[in-house]
Amino acid sequence: MNLIETLLAEIVRMAPAALFNIYFAFAAIPVGFLLAIVFALGKNARNPLLNRLSRIYIYFFRGSPFFIQLFAFYSLALAFNVSTWKPLGIDWLVLNPLFLGPAILMLNTTAYTAEIFYGALITVPRGEVEAARAYGMTRGQRFRSVTWPNLIRLAWPAYTNEVVFLFQTTALVYFTLPVIGDQRDLMNTAEVLFQKDYNVFLHFGVAAGYFLAISLAIFFLFGLIYRRLMRHMPQQATMRFSWQRLFGQAPQ
Amino acid sequence: MLVDWLPQGLKDILGPDVIFWLGYITNGKHLNWYASVQYTLAAMLLGGAVALVVGVLAAAARNNGPRPLRWLAAGYINIVRGVPDVLFFLFFPLAFEQGLEWLYSLQVCTADTLALNVGKWPPCPAANLSFNSVAYLVLAGVSLGIVYGAFIASVVAGALQSVPQGQLEAARAYGMSRIEVLRRVHIRQMWVYALPGIANVWMSIVKATALLSLLQIFDFVAWAQRLGASNFSKAAGLVHDDWRWRYYLVLLVFYVLVTFVSEKIFSAIGSRLRRGMPMAEQGLT
Repeated sequence: MNLIETLLAEIVRMAPAALFNIYFAFAAIPVGFLLAIVFALGKNARNPLLNRLSRIYIYFFRGSPFFIQLFAFYSLALAFNVSTWKPLGIDWLVLNPLFLGPAILMLNTTAYTAEIFYGALITVPRGEVEAARAYGMTRGQRFRSVTWPNLIRLAWPAYTNEVVFLFQTTALVYFTLPVIGDQRDLMNTAEVLFQKDYNVFLHFGVAAGYFLAISLAIFFLFGLIYRRLMRHMPQQATMRFSWQRLFGQAPQ
Repeated sequence: MLVDWLPQGLKDILGPDVIFWLGYITNGKHLNWYASVQYTLAAMLLGGAVALVVGVLAAAARNNGPRPLRWLAAGYINIVRGVPDVLFFLFFPLAFEQGLEWLYSLQVCTADTLALNVGKWPPCPAANLSFNSVAYLVLAGVSLGIVYGAFIASVVAGALQSVPQGQLEAARAYGMSRIEVLRRVHIRQMWVYALPGIANVWMSIVKATALLSLLQIFDFVAWAQRLGASNFSKAAGLVHDDWRWRYYLVLLVFYVLVTFVSEKIFSAIGSRLRRGMPMAEQGLT
């Protein structure tokens, strides 16, 4: 009984911390999603400058660890503090972890998502795009009514994974950015509690449980969206939550 | 100073500014920094090796093992994949250390010392263990291996299913046992299908080594942090102010280079593995 009470108290204590991780992830996702479309189209563009720039951006952010990106951009923000942010009067915003954290996460997820979207973009059935051209559709119409729906359906399972990874990456934010007051995320709370009583299994276990539960929730939510995206397709949607797949049978 | 060994003629050509910067980036601390790459590389290689072994074992257990083993492997794969790597990376060495301390405390603690220390860790002061940085490096490598072993396992599980069924049936028909089929035919043919996925996981391992400094290992990242911080000495005054962003940019470039080289190596391995395989017909070019 004592064990269950301790566990419940720990779960309650960590609940507000989990909100910070959720906030970081979901503040970064919308802008990252939109920018990723731009970079995916850029990587596919004929214009050599656009093409080269998009490729470099994607390669750079995918090829380096997020932990170091966090360091680099935070120290850059600090370096420009006196010369730029202070005179503009926006230093309270730029150096606030609640802004800087999602901003750097956004830069990172843009690159990963752009690579996923690019992969989907080049596998969009060519015949459908040609048919749309033959109908005399403009570029914008073609993108909106043919390329994009195909792209997002092809990319959705991989994008789901990326969102879950992004959520897990938020664990790193407060290792670098300053903690203001008691705005602590899951990892930070777990570490602070661990320093008090050295109970590694309780604190890290509950933090892991939160990450696991929210990751599963994201899979579930995105699975619902995927089913909606695929509802008119002839085959059954395969990305569905199943206990059987989780424990035991490998997917066929 | 290494620069002092340069011939005078060369020094004249380069000019005092270039010589100063050459001297700066080759002073003792910077040489230590470059040498600390070895910890990062060691953790990468150890982590990769452990991940490969753990991954193949877990995948084989999940696909072909008896039922309890299958559940265990699936639980491992799903739980580790659902938890951030940094959490496990901090958790595993701490839990390992505490486990050893607990075992040790059974030996050295008496009832009196235990009673004095109730609710604290370690159970009694005598049972306190402290690891040196090499031990931490090995622990870090092993925990990287355990985390990314789960990712390798799901890659390998998929690759095991991509091996043409006829190959396995032929092996069975030759009278090999299930284990023999797995060892001699199934796992050996699996590699070519698993390679792209393994390359991806390797890139993740490379990037995860940036976390080593969290375990008090003085690796490439920790040194850059120390060198970049504003440098003030009594003798020379302010040597430089906060230069951390320059050092972090070097780190970013370093990691991009490691990924680039790894990519090249993996594509070379891939084209070697695919020798004589009609991959185009299987749609796997």
